Amino acid sequence: MATQVRPGDLLLGRLTRKAVAAPAAPAEKRGAAALLKAWLPAIVILILLLVLPNFVPSYIQSLVTKMMIFALFGVSMNILWGYGGIPTFGHAAFFGFGGYVCGILIMHGGISNFWVNLLLVMVFTALLGAGLGVPAFRVYGVGASDNPIYFLLVTLAFGELLVRVAISARGLTGGSTGMSGIPYPDLGIPGVSINSASYYFLVLGIVVVCLLVIYRIVNSHYGYALRGIHDNERRMQALGYNTWLYKYTSYIIAGMFGGVAGCLFAYFGGVMIPGTMGMAMTDIVFLIVILGSASVYFGPVIGAIVVVGVEYLASVYVPERWPLIMAIIIVVVIMVIPQGIGVLLLNLWRKVSHGSAA
Amino acid sequence: MAALLEVENLSVHFGGLAAVKDVTFSIESGERLVMIGPNGAGKTTLFNLLTGQLRPSGGKVVFKGQDITHKPVFARTQLGMARSFQITSLFPNETVLTNALIALQGTRSGRYRLFGVFLRDKTLQKAARELLESIDLWDKRSEVVSSLAYGETRKLEMGLSLASSPDLLMLDEPSCGLTPTESADITERIRALGKKITVLMISHDMDLAFGVAERIILLHFGEISCEGSCDEIRANQTVKDIYMGSHKASTAGG
Repeated sequence: MATQVRPGDLLLGRLTRKAVAAPAAPAEKRGAAALLKAWLPAIVILILLLVLPNFVPSYIQSLVTKMMIFALFGVSMNILWGYGGIPTFGHAAFFGFGGYVCGILIMHGGISNFWVNLLLVMVFTALLGAGLGVPAFRVYGVGASDNPIYFLLVTLAFGELLVRVAISARGLTGGSTGMSGIPYPDLGIPGVSINSASYYFLVLGIVVVCLLVIYRIVNSHYGYALRGIHDNERRMQALGYNTWLYKYTSYIIAGMFGGVAGCLFAYFGGVMIPGTMGMAMTDIVFLIVILGSASVYFGPVIGAIVVVGVEYLASVYVPERWPLIMAIIIVVVIMVIPQGIGVLLLNLWRKVSHGSAA
Repeated sequence: MAALLEVENLSVHFGGLAAVKDVTFSIESGERLVMIGPNGAGKTTLFNLLTGQLRPSGGKVVFKGQDITHKPVFARTQLGMARSFQITSLFPNETVLTNALIALQGTRSGRYRLFGVFLRDKTLQKAARELLESIDLWDKRSEVVSSLAYGETRKLEMGLSLASSPDLLMLDEPSCGLTPTESADITERIRALGKKITVLMISHDMDLAFGVAERIILLHFGEISCEGSCDEIRANQTVKDIYMGSHKASTAGG
């Protein structure tokens, strides 16, 4: 099967979930031990992340913070792409928009409380998704076009449109030089102030919560309806599902979590530039999902680690050359493991865990 | 009693081609109606008009007293219509069980639940077991659909259409591509549905058509050419001309 996936298929969102080995039948009963085993890797990684700052220098800690933010960004896009089968070139629009909303609220709105800010970012990105989703889904899906290219172009245009708006609205956004001086968040808890070291834990907390929520969503009744639409939208309609509503709401949900990632990113760098809403950032999240695998839940997390990690290493050792290195990695990954690193790791994990159990 | 489905002067044009022309018929509750006709007669097109995949150029479709001519596909299913597809249309990357679960969830409440665990929904699991046992696929529940044999996918195809407990079941060539034995099995299954489910079926397979039908409609060039009981259709000259060929029928051999 591996050889049948071509890069073109990846771009057009035809990455089938065939890539993952046969899903096991749901067990009628699962003991605590089995549950623990299934979640073991996640728990180990979480513990490692919690103790990591004690062992690594601050620049590594900051790098891991960035990885976590992009992991959330990638996983949020994968709700659309991996589960709903809806490829978008405009997911960065939500990321950047979320960041800008966060920045504007702090710099111009006078809202310093992190939680209020985060909530408002989610509300505004959801509204953006609700607004953009209406025209976007007029060109895609059963009844419109089976070819996702129009949807890709429309979403791409939305992102670029927002970039132009951010450049023009100089008073609010700082224009093309962007917005700088966004302070670390104020949690509103007396005696707790956030600096670059403690921001790591805040990001860890928010990202873990968001990933758990998204995990629940993609495995819920709603999530399985999305998978069904990915596989066979026509059948889903015949079965009584309002597929448009599912696609539309998934666009909003994915956008909302993308906005959360953008908000965390704004605090992280303290800077927002218009480019974060455009094509360049969309490219990065695309790479994250392709490299990590769209067909595995944690795929984009791995993608984020690789992409952000390589970007950092390249910027240290061969500055200005990192796009070239990234391109080589993409070509190699697509040729060797077109389904993504996530699938490879998942199969490896299954082999290891089944081997030890038997 | 009013008819379950009433179709009035239904037409659709593709450019200059009238694929379905002024079709009028109705189905009584509990009836088994079969539509026959040569290739290109417009049977599947008519089906798509009835289920909402296509929008008609003119005419009216009334289901349970409601005008559904402009209702979307999913809304018709919610009203109690269900269809199967001639070209098997399943969720190939999911297991048989998950296929059944997704199909069952379509017309049940809770299909927008964001935080339920779908695969552990007990009510759904129970219903899926009943559904799969009724089509003899319970033993295959853990298999991925793409690995099933063709005959099994056809059974599942029909099973998914039954998942919504429809009042009107519309079957598009249920025996398409099956061996005679498998086809006879499908015939038995449709007959076993009983009077609670009204069946509208398209079929090329005459054994299946005559085995199931209480009434037959012959569609030819998008129009109803004749209509009657099995015996009437067997004796009908137009049917003979279309199916057996005759020097009078210009479409002989179609």
